Amino acid sequence: MQSFWLIPALPLAGFLILALGGGRLSRGAAAVVGVGSVGLSAVLTFWAVFAFLAARPEQGAFTQNVWQWIAVADLTPAIAFHVDALTLTMMGVITGVGFFIHLYSVGYMAGETGYARFFAYMNLFVSAMLILVMADNLLLLYLGWEGVGLCSYLLIGFWYRDPANGYAARKAFVVTRAGDTAMAIGLFLLFDRLGTLHIQELMQRAVDTWPAASAMPTIAALLLLGGAVGKSAQLPLQTWLPDAMAGPTPVSALIHAATMVTAGVYLIARTHVLFELAPAALTAVAAIGALTLLLAGFSALCQTDIKRVLAYSTISQIGYMFLALGVGAWSAAIFHLVTHAFFKALLFLGAGAVIHALDGEQELSRMGGLRRELPLTFLTFLAGAASLAALPLITAGFYSKDMIIWEAYAAARGSLIWWFAALGGALLTVVYTFRMFFRVFEGPLQTRVHHAPGVSMTLPLVVLAVLSLTAGFVEMPRTLGGVHLFSTFMAGALPMVQLDPAREGHEWFFQVLSAGLVLLALLVSWRLFRRPIAHRAAGADSPLKAALQRWWLAGWGFDWLYDRLFVRPYIFLARINRNDVIDSGIDQIARGAQTLYRTASATQTGRLRTYAASMALGAALVIALAVWS
Amino acid sequence: MDVNDPVTSIATIWPLMVFLLAATGLVIVMIGLSALLGQRHWQRTTGEPFESGMLPTGTARIRFDVKFYLMAMFFVIFDLEAIFIFAWAASVRQLGWFGYIEMLIFVGFLLLALFYLWRVGALEWGTKR
Amino acid sequence: MQTADFTALTPLLLLAAAIAAVMLQIALKRSHILTIVLTLAGLIAAMLGVLAVGDMPARQVTPLVTMDRLAFFFIGLILTATAATALLGCRYWEHAVGQCEEYYLLLLVAALGACVLAAAHHFAAFFIGLEILSISLFTLMAFARRRMASVEAGLKYLVLAGISSAFLLFGIALIYADVGSLAFPIWTARLQAAGETVSPLLLIGMGMTVIGVGFKLALVPFHMWTADIYQGAPAPTTAFVATVSKSAMVALLLRLFAPVDFTAEPALFWTLAILAFASMIVGNILALRQDSVKRILAYSSIAHMGYLLVAFLSGGPAAIAATVFYITAYTITVLGAFGVVTVLSRTDADADSMSDFQGLFFSHPWLAGVFMAMLLSLAGIPLTAGFIGKFYAITAGAQGGIWWLIITLVLTSAASLFYYLRIVVAMFSPPLENKTQPPAAGISYSGGLVLTVMTVLLIWVGSAPGPLIDLIGRITQ
Repeated sequence: MQSFWLIPALPLAGFLILALGGGRLSRGAAAVVGVGSVGLSAVLTFWAVFAFLAARPEQGAFTQNVWQWIAVADLTPAIAFHVDALTLTMMGVITGVGFFIHLYSVGYMAGETGYARFFAYMNLFVSAMLILVMADNLLLLYLGWEGVGLCSYLLIGFWYRDPANGYAARKAFVVTRAGDTAMAIGLFLLFDRLGTLHIQELMQRAVDTWPAASAMPTIAALLLLGGAVGKSAQLPLQTWLPDAMAGPTPVSALIHAATMVTAGVYLIARTHVLFELAPAALTAVAAIGALTLLLAGFSALCQTDIKRVLAYSTISQIGYMFLALGVGAWSAAIFHLVTHAFFKALLFLGAGAVIHALDGEQELSRMGGLRRELPLTFLTFLAGAASLAALPLITAGFYSKDMIIWEAYAAARGSLIWWFAALGGALLTVVYTFRMFFRVFEGPLQTRVHHAPGVSMTLPLVVLAVLSLTAGFVEMPRTLGGVHLFSTFMAGALPMVQLDPAREGHEWFFQVLSAGLVLLALLVSWRLFRRPIAHRAAGADSPLKAALQRWWLAGWGFDWLYDRLFVRPYIFLARINRNDVIDSGIDQIARGAQTLYRTASATQTGRLRTYAASMALGAALVIALAVWS
Repeated sequence: MDVNDPVTSIATIWPLMVFLLAATGLVIVMIGLSALLGQRHWQRTTGEPFESGMLPTGTARIRFDVKFYLMAMFFVIFDLEAIFIFAWAASVRQLGWFGYIEMLIFVGFLLLALFYLWRVGALEWGTKR
Repeated sequence: MQTADFTALTPLLLLAAAIAAVMLQIALKRSHILTIVLTLAGLIAAMLGVLAVGDMPARQVTPLVTMDRLAFFFIGLILTATAATALLGCRYWEHAVGQCEEYYLLLLVAALGACVLAAAHHFAAFFIGLEILSISLFTLMAFARRRMASVEAGLKYLVLAGISSAFLLFGIALIYADVGSLAFPIWTARLQAAGETVSPLLLIGMGMTVIGVGFKLALVPFHMWTADIYQGAPAPTTAFVATVSKSAMVALLLRLFAPVDFTAEPALFWTLAILAFASMIVGNILALRQDSVKRILAYSSIAHMGYLLVAFLSGGPAAIAATVFYITAYTITVLGAFGVVTVLSRTDADADSMSDFQGLFFSHPWLAGVFMAMLLSLAGIPLTAGFIGKFYAITAGAQGGIWWLIITLVLTSAASLFYYLRIVVAMFSPPLENKTQPPAAGISYSGGLVLTVMTVLLIWVGSAPGPLIDLIGRITQ
């Protein structure tokens, strides 16, 4: 496998072509370069998967050392790839889903200015994300990590003429940066203590050096968790993701649903050895996941903007993945990551199709009755919604989420609390999903449909819909036949979940219970939301309910809290320090340099005799120095 | 032989010293004697060119054609190059055929340079063309 | 003389043959294109000669020169820089009033002088090389005869180089008086062994040699000529002065002083250290508010030679390698920078003032990009050759423990960012309204080739310095 480097290099080449020659390329050429590079990458990735399946490499991973940058003492940063089952899964999601989203963008962005710029950023993103997951050392991973952050920033602010978009982009950048800083400190700590950043070696040394549950691995793991929390929009750094919806919808689908925001999950899974040394950190992961999935679920319930519903839903679903990681259900987390990538990308693309059709309308209250107007979008959206709501048996989301819910209880690290949280989250998911679904497609028509989606937009919808329904069949619980293709595939990279033998027997009971509750919740939402808001008595809401709605609409007021806690004190301090002392000191340096400059340039008279005199003086000085020093 | 030893170094360079003294002495004697013995007078035509020569007119600070300098320079350059030929001639037997070929190349270069000067018109007095 | 001697001298002989050929060609039939072709052919032949014989064991040819790996490396560098200058010159002189073929002839002669300097092993060779180089340089500087500034530059250099040569000759005489030989090794051995009891005659001779070297390297206080000459001389000549003349002198510096252990000879250390210190400070300060780009580059070259001396003075194991690396990176960068200036210039007026570069990004985005890369390299920003060079210099300095010089280096190069970025800012500012952009004629293939090669080298050396470091390691061991 000597061509691994091509997989991230192709989108990078696409980026370079588009960025350097973008102005001169026609729209068609830009689209071909943008989509084609990711498509080729996807083909290579699937070829790599087949090669992997055909002949499992030793150590469970292909490695490739492309190029070593420099070697200073222990620090030998290299462009080197480590491709195991986990990486291949991520690569498949990034290039596969990424390809369809690129294809979709061809139609979606058709009327926009900055067409080539859009594809350039998207290609750069795919490349950076691939580097992130393929890196064999944490430094290269960090390069990809910051690369995707940069692309996220650029794409959220893609329509930069509206200051609000720029603000959203900045917010995303600053908030994730808080997490990144923690992660960088974590990397420094690991390098300082263990003397390497090579992931496999680092894990080995961590096990050899640190006793389990000691302070050092806990601190390191918590610092890495800080980075993961920021990137994956988990509590307490989740506030940027809803605002990130300011970007074009394909961006939301690719970056803020399918791939980048799951980087935190990937990071924890990749360094699971370290986390297993730190049970406290793992418990923190689970707690963050459980709390996030519930809070974001409630918020999703109250949103009025279709993309914000999906944004909160993404936060919530990643909460599930964190919960799974926290209880040690590694492959369940990754499994949900994959199915989530399919159905959430589908939902975003479907929402994009709706928004596109309604000429930029995003408010749920102004949608409705689109079932007949956009039948294909309706059907595919239904598939996505069903998968997100985890309708039993027929959807991929069911298998992955059910696995998490079950293992949250049954795993050795699981408990009833986690199970309750996961189950509650599942109910919320059903309600908010179908609330959104009914608002969009049922009821009377609110806004006229402007353009129906073209082939380049519908094809990705259909493909992703099929995947959202069927991708779950690769992993089915024991009670339903026990297909374990995915977890065996993953077994080389991630340890199998440890189930508590005492709880293992009750699996069917829990499954029937959760499936039943999901169906019940579906019924409830059918009753509640099938009719549009106007049909219900307005103003009948109690003040408490209205206040709660406002609170949840604002995402539990985190923005307000952070504004009071950080932003305002910071601005206050900045204002106090407007004419600060240090700065005036630095001004003095500049002024001194100017004075020196004037003095020195006075010697540059342009007269030969001055120059000769200077030489003579210099000669005297040099000879004096030579003789008397 | 230690050149740094003052005694030996003086011993080796004493003929040079004598030569220097003799040269200086000769000049002093010539000027001194003519100053002592020669007659001195200041009359109307004393400062004029000798006997019936032409009286100079105008200033001496006139602009000479740059060609004078060019010619002078060519003379100096080619004259100096000739010194190398003398040096070779002095040791022609020790250097043998190798030195001969080397000198041929050297003279060849000189000829080439002369040819170049001729072709670019540096040797013409008037303006070319 | 034996055959092996001739083999060792191949590059120099080929270069001399090229000079004869170009002179003959001009005498027979003037043709700009033909001259360029012959010049480049000669340079390429000489480069091939370097490649062919460069790996030979060191060989001393006559008492005057030693052809070792260091010499071959520097000769290669000089030939490359000369070829780049010639290529840059061909568009520049194309529309010149009068004849311009002699420019290439003089370039070749100057390159030959520089090569002799790089291989010098004896004060006589030193002086011969220096004078061949200098005398050609006067003419190269004054070559744009219709421009007063150009003639003035030539004349100033003539006088000042004369003064420095006088010092140098006097110094050589004193050294001969003390040592009784003009060969470098005997001299350095004497300097080394004498230690405390070294005679004042030798010390003064050494000081005067330092003056000669310092003048060519434009170290403070022998730097006065630099700005006037960089600004006045035609742009290709400036590129040549800044690269060929400097690198030849650095080679000589290594030959003269590298074998001397600075602990045994503190006088030498302190002399050079104070020159380096003053150069770093004065060079950077003079550039700060300068409005002429060529003058900025001139002052920055003063500072850069100071940085280079820091690497050299470290005296540690890495000192020589760091010095050689630094001058190589510097040569690449400066050729690129002056390449941009040349490409933007015409024979009658060079692109010089800040306003000539204002808005360059919008009229010539590629040129602006290349120039920015070069300026960032001069400033020592990572991923450029300049960064690695500076990094290497600082590492060497730290090994040698000369912290005060390192701190000066770091502080002054931080200050230098100011004036490099000023040019960058000007390039990215909106173009001036009523400004006629210098040559909108487009970039010639030859100029484009030079810029491309230099940019690729810059980034290659900056991102993967391994091969060059290995090569230099083999040369300097």
